[in-house]
Amino acid sequence: MRAVVADAEGSVTRDGITVHYERYGSGTPVILLLPTWSLLHSRHWKLQVPYLARHYTVLSFDGRGNGRSDRPGHPAAYDTAEFAADALAVMDATETAHAVLVSVSRGTLWALRLCAEHPERVLGAIFIGPVFPFAMPPDEREVLRRFEDVVEAPVGWDKYNAHHWKADYRDFVEFFMGRMFTEPHSTKQHEDAVGWALETDPATLVATNHGLRGTTPEASGRLAETVGCPTLVVHGSHDVIRSHSQGAALAERTGGALVTLAGSGHCPHLRDPVRVNLLIRQFVQAVGG
Amino acid sequence: MRARPPQRVDFVERDGVKVGFEVFGPGASGLLLIPSTPISHARSWKGLVPFLSRHHLVVTVDGRGNGLSDRPAESAAYGPDEVVADHVAVLDAAGLTRAVVVAHCHAVPWALRLAADHPDRVSGLVAIAPAVELAPREEHWAEPTRRWADEVEDPTGWALCNRHAWRQDYPPWPRFFFDQLLPEPHSTKQYEDAVSWALETDPETMIAEREGRGAPNERDTEALCRSVRCPTLVIHGTEDRCQPAARGRRLAELTGGDLVVLQGAGHLPQGREPVKVNRLIKEFVDRIEGEPMREAVWTRGLDRPKRALYLSSPIGLGHARRDVSVVKELKRLRPDLAVDWLAQHPVTSVLAAEGERIHPASAWLANESAHMASESCEHDLHCFQALRRMDEILLANFMVFQEVVEEGLYDLIIGDEAWDVDHFWHENPELKRGDHVWMTDFVGYLPMPDGGEHEAFLTTDYNAEMIEHIARYPRIRDAAIFVGNPDDIVPGTFGGDLPGIRSWTEEHFSFSGYITGFTPPDPDEIPAIRAELGYHEDEQICIVAVGGSGVGRALLEKVIAAYPLAKRLTPELRMVVVAGPRIDPGSLALPGEPGLEVLGYVDRLYRHLSVCDLAVVQGGLTTTMELAAAKRPFLYFPLRHHFEQNFHVRHRLDRYGAGRCMDYTTSDPDLIAAAVAEHIGSVVAHRDVETDGAARAARLIAELV
Repeated sequence: MRAVVADAEGSVTRDGITVHYERYGSGTPVILLLPTWSLLHSRHWKLQVPYLARHYTVLSFDGRGNGRSDRPGHPAAYDTAEFAADALAVMDATETAHAVLVSVSRGTLWALRLCAEHPERVLGAIFIGPVFPFAMPPDEREVLRRFEDVVEAPVGWDKYNAHHWKADYRDFVEFFMGRMFTEPHSTKQHEDAVGWALETDPATLVATNHGLRGTTPEASGRLAETVGCPTLVVHGSHDVIRSHSQGAALAERTGGALVTLAGSGHCPHLRDPVRVNLLIRQFVQAVGG
Repeated sequence: MRARPPQRVDFVERDGVKVGFEVFGPGASGLLLIPSTPISHARSWKGLVPFLSRHHLVVTVDGRGNGLSDRPAESAAYGPDEVVADHVAVLDAAGLTRAVVVAHCHAVPWALRLAADHPDRVSGLVAIAPAVELAPREEHWAEPTRRWADEVEDPTGWALCNRHAWRQDYPPWPRFFFDQLLPEPHSTKQYEDAVSWALETDPETMIAEREGRGAPNERDTEALCRSVRCPTLVIHGTEDRCQPAARGRRLAELTGGDLVVLQGAGHLPQGREPVKVNRLIKEFVDRIEGEPMREAVWTRGLDRPKRALYLSSPIGLGHARRDVSVVKELKRLRPDLAVDWLAQHPVTSVLAAEGERIHPASAWLANESAHMASESCEHDLHCFQALRRMDEILLANFMVFQEVVEEGLYDLIIGDEAWDVDHFWHENPELKRGDHVWMTDFVGYLPMPDGGEHEAFLTTDYNAEMIEHIARYPRIRDAAIFVGNPDDIVPGTFGGDLPGIRSWTEEHFSFSGYITGFTPPDPDEIPAIRAELGYHEDEQICIVAVGGSGVGRALLEKVIAAYPLAKRLTPELRMVVVAGPRIDPGSLALPGEPGLEVLGYVDRLYRHLSVCDLAVVQGGLTTTMELAAAKRPFLYFPLRHHFEQNFHVRHRLDRYGAGRCMDYTTSDPDLIAAAVAEHIGSVVAHRDVETDGAARAARLIAELV
């Protein structure tokens, strides 16, 4: 059973693609929990929503490609600009003038766009375990470069591969979630994440990879520099999916605070939810709203 | 001694009237603290200044009529327009374009005017126990208000609030008034402070102010409140006999502000509940200023190393050595335990030499040792009163400690006579972090006979508060260790109808035995140590030492004066006078006879003491017990009015049969010379001092981690 049910839900459609959103609570300001990579859907915020909704209005939506949103098949539909536009459409549909953005991992890419291109809609932004191409280390880039290569019986990060996903999607998902939760005793978080990933399909996920490949390091660096709102980066020291150095660089580039979670992996909002919830609240209070 | 000296003391002058202000702290954002004058002055903020000025630039102002400010005679000088203009002038002089204003009682209407008339200067307003005409006062004010100018026969109680009564005999009013305003039990120190500040002004000033301050009606006050635009916080006690809490509630409503009701508190929460008030003000200011997120590291629970924070009483050096030896034993039992120290000079010098880690926040601590030195004169230290007068320093240091434990994720807090932690955690139990070990070598404040009934009343009250603390919150002390044995506890009671000290202590403490900071030498090791230190076999070595404080000069001089006669009585006598780090050896006048030398600081003095033929010392526990453990004869002179040295230490030494207690006042040089001659070189056969105290204490502590 869910801890809280949505006070309202709805959908927005752009260019024939529909995304589904939920609204919880009624306080101010609005906290917009952005989608991350469509490997997961909005249930990954399940440990934040009940707490934050007691204090604020919380908006979340399933990113295109998973959950209750459409799963377009063409890669261009997964451009970072599309996710950002979905977020704006959800804000418009819920009459949200501005919000505090919270993003995880790949969600950073659309969050940065919103901050830089629509500063009047953003009160502040929190980046958890962010992807920041500007500071992405070579080994992470190399993984993306080989995405479409044909590999036989891949091991390790070679499983991050379009052909392998289509051949044995579950194997990739199990591998990836194992890297996502490096903390001991994470069985439940692992199971949850695998379950959410299996709600989409390998063909859709291959298309989503476009979004990440389409953002150049230079472009992300420029975007980060133009961010004017308060920012907070929360990054685990043991994040083996997106290195801590990316979070540190993003904090520096946006002029924000960096909170390092020593011992944490890539999704501390699921594995250390109490600390992350309290950090979000502290940030929102500092921002004022 | 103050916990924090001002960095600037200055005046503004308007129409010939000087108003004093003080500036504290390095912060950028400003706080202006306005006391309720003239019955009080800026020192009434002493509990708030050290903490708030670590975070903000704090300016305190003395209103016209008390403290540093002038005491104009005419009533017109006390009108609210004048006072508010003073505050603007102070803000200008202090260079504060904007400030959060904190005001108490009838300073609140001034602060409201300041906020309403100068909205660009006031970013927020904290009103404590506000005197605002928004609800009727309690009935006891009706008669004195009506008959203020009448001649009242032999007034008592609230009727003392009368212009003729003040002129005839002013002190009874503040004595009665503040007794009513502090309904909380165990408020003796706050009461003494408040009365003494009230007595720094005079009845004519009090009358002039009272008749000049004006009497705004409810409608005007409401209008004033509604015109305030900045955020407000109202703090009001439910037991406030000066201003009913209904006034605070209404003020919060009218200004759209927050109301914090302090259940059971009286009119002076900034004095009586300073921890809570400090935290409320900081939270309020942080909210207004938007406390930014800072770079931080948070470590997952299971990834954290075990950590302890050790607090060693800084009064004297004795605790430092015993605490180091406890930590050595503790690390043997729990090798994975990291220990940080929150400590101040001179303890830090011992810790640094041992390679211990001193928490950097130690630099923020106000120095307790310096306070004790400032409280002493010629072999006299009233340590109970000195401890009471250290209230401001203890509070300031507790606030530092609390910030350290809230950020430091300590599993264990070990306080060797860390009075501040134990007291304020019992007063604010919701603030406790980590398991808490309380250690002490005495239990019970005891009155000195010449303090009379009043001192006995005070020590009983302090003991009663401690006993009530522990009865109500047994969870605050996870372990309580008495550094000694049950027989070391003094006989008698805590005073009044309180329990016997021994039975209560046995019920509430574990016993570690005495903890020596070192192992005394075996008899067969002594000749080699003496040779190493340059003490010859044919010499009778008498060491005179007064420890690390500056208190001992008078005793050194007296013993030096005894030297010529002592030398005649014992020709082999060689007297080594150790002046210690705080007394300049060159400043002591010597009789110019051979066999007497004066040294400054002596490293590892206990080694000298452990092989001497006689020692002459003060009555402190550590040094005397080192001598007892080494089985040396010694003369000890308890500091006058030092209840611990005169009762607790003496009782313990008597139990061991160690040392001869001497009275400083009645001991002239001849008597001292005779005592030196009588005891030097004598063989002592008293009870052994245990050597396993540190290990026993460490075992008790280790059970918690």
